[in-house]
Amino acid sequence: MLSRSIARHRLMAELVGFLPLIIFLALLTYVGLNAPNFMTLFNLKLVLMQSLPVVLLVTGLSAVVMAGGDDVVSGGIDLSIPATAVLCAGITAVLLASGLSLFVASLAALAAALAAGAVNAVLITRLRMTPLLTTLAMFVALVGINNMVTSRRRINLTDGHIGLLREDFVFGIPLGIVIVALVVLVAYHLLHRTRWGLNLQAAGGSRDAAEISGLKVDRLVAQSYLLAAFMGFLTGFFVLARGNGYSPGVENNLMLEMVLANFLGAAFSPRRVVTMWGAVLGAVLVAAISIGLKTIGVNVFWTDLVKGALILVVVALSAISQRVQ
Amino acid sequence: MASETAGTPLWRDIVVRFGFLIVFALFVVFFAAWNPVFVQGQNLMNIIEGSAILMIIALGMTLIVATGGIDLSVGIALDFGAAFAIVAMKSFGIHWFGAACIGIAGGALVGLLNAALVVGLRISPFLATLGTFFIGSSVQRIFTNGGGPISYRQMPDEFRSLALGDVFGVPSEVIIALVLAAIYFFVLERSVWGRRIHAMGMQRSAAVVAGIKVNRILFLCFVMASATCAFGGLIAAANIRMFTPLSGFAYLLDAIAAVFIGAALHPRGRPNIPGTVAGVLFLGVVTNGLNLMGLNFNTKDALSGIILVAALALAVAQRNMRKS
Repeated sequence: MLSRSIARHRLMAELVGFLPLIIFLALLTYVGLNAPNFMTLFNLKLVLMQSLPVVLLVTGLSAVVMAGGDDVVSGGIDLSIPATAVLCAGITAVLLASGLSLFVASLAALAAALAAGAVNAVLITRLRMTPLLTTLAMFVALVGINNMVTSRRRINLTDGHIGLLREDFVFGIPLGIVIVALVVLVAYHLLHRTRWGLNLQAAGGSRDAAEISGLKVDRLVAQSYLLAAFMGFLTGFFVLARGNGYSPGVENNLMLEMVLANFLGAAFSPRRVVTMWGAVLGAVLVAAISIGLKTIGVNVFWTDLVKGALILVVVALSAISQRVQ
Repeated sequence: MASETAGTPLWRDIVVRFGFLIVFALFVVFFAAWNPVFVQGQNLMNIIEGSAILMIIALGMTLIVATGGIDLSVGIALDFGAAFAIVAMKSFGIHWFGAACIGIAGGALVGLLNAALVVGLRISPFLATLGTFFIGSSVQRIFTNGGGPISYRQMPDEFRSLALGDVFGVPSEVIIALVLAAIYFFVLERSVWGRRIHAMGMQRSAAVVAGIKVNRILFLCFVMASATCAFGGLIAAANIRMFTPLSGFAYLLDAIAAVFIGAALHPRGRPNIPGTVAGVLFLGVVTNGLNLMGLNFNTKDALSGIILVAALALAVAQRNMRKS
């Protein structure tokens, strides 16, 4: 009798646990039914292309959350990655426009990204500053530096190579998608299949336990911020490719979409933790919803409202399902 | 305290106690040397006047951070305060005082939503207020058809004097900020209620065990913080005689920075009103000083960002040295 009630309880919990995903799929189905063009291969490609920068960002962010723990305020979080990405895009665009080669421009961007990551790492692991606060402040500083570098102008892409990310195809699949898929696979291998990745997750799971078992937690956390900055560097190229050059002001939207995708991903995962696959799925779904709402003719002014409501519904459901369990 | 620091060298003692204030003073000296106008009475009043709205927002933020949370929707509360007040006067012809009250109630709506999400649904404050931020921004876009301002040129003089009036030469926005700061100081630092808030922010489970009604406090704090931010909206609306959608967002990061600088200045590292005031004034001094240096807009932007990071790092480093 008792066991049956436990079983029923668990079934309930699981059902509530799947609700976030069910709601999302229902929303997409609704869009699909109302806009027959939405469920086409062409549109799927569009959705994936649109999601690429955010996919790269959340891959970096999930590494940071894994290493630092998933408490939003005191745990690991890096809100500065979108600013790093935009700074890299700005530096690359300015240097390309001044006639330097893509290689030199990329090196300069990489140096800037790693410097930003290193400052984050030092402030968080040495000074013990709250990651949320540190990376939020870094976001402001990096955007400021980028505005100085680019003088807030639109800079058109002069180099053909970056445009290939959008225009070139490998076996009929856009090159950008192929590259991001490879990057995500490598990151997955690194974070989930290597000793380093497991140590990283151990550090985030329980800092004390990890330290007792001899892990250098601070070093792992610092490395996660450097990895995140590197992902920001990669994102820079996709920002350039997507906009066919640098335009000021893309960072705010990127940050919001990154955070949204990351926490949607956590709500999708069975144990409510931030995982890389969850985050990537979150990023793609956020792009799908944005494009989907546009296709069925929802006024642009409403999209933020829908996204905000989605965050709340999904996160509330995951909080409820945790309580039910 | 004296016995703890007895063995340390004098310079360390000085840095630990006054490090941030010394740097603050150095900034003032530097700006004054660059442009003597900086230390003139009129300019100092400009700094204080220019910091009034940030001050008000930072007060609300201090309260929320003291409970152990964070509020990303303070800017929305400011926007709602301005929008409700302007619309009440312009479209419904309501008396300016009634309109001001409606504005504050409009801001409090944002807090009610946050409180319902955080207390009722137990969503973490970061995510709940992020959701509120999204929804609030969208509501403003829908209402203004994409973000166009709502101007109200024939604003009653009394309402306009919320920003432009003065009492014995002190600008009224400064008076509003000071009165609110005094109320917050009393509530957070001198009342039983404030002690409960701090207890809850520092160790929530202990506070629950001690019988503190955590949920009720959280609820009131979110509503009070948002209602406070709406005052900032009233001043902004009175100042420019219009409601500009999404203008509150600009204050978010500075408010967070001021609160955390203030917390780092506190002996026990907790958010506190005098510290927040110091943080706000520091940010005001930097903004004003950089303006007077006549730098290019973009350069100024970059410098103030870098100074923000450095100031936070310094404040936290000082706190760490004090602890060790």
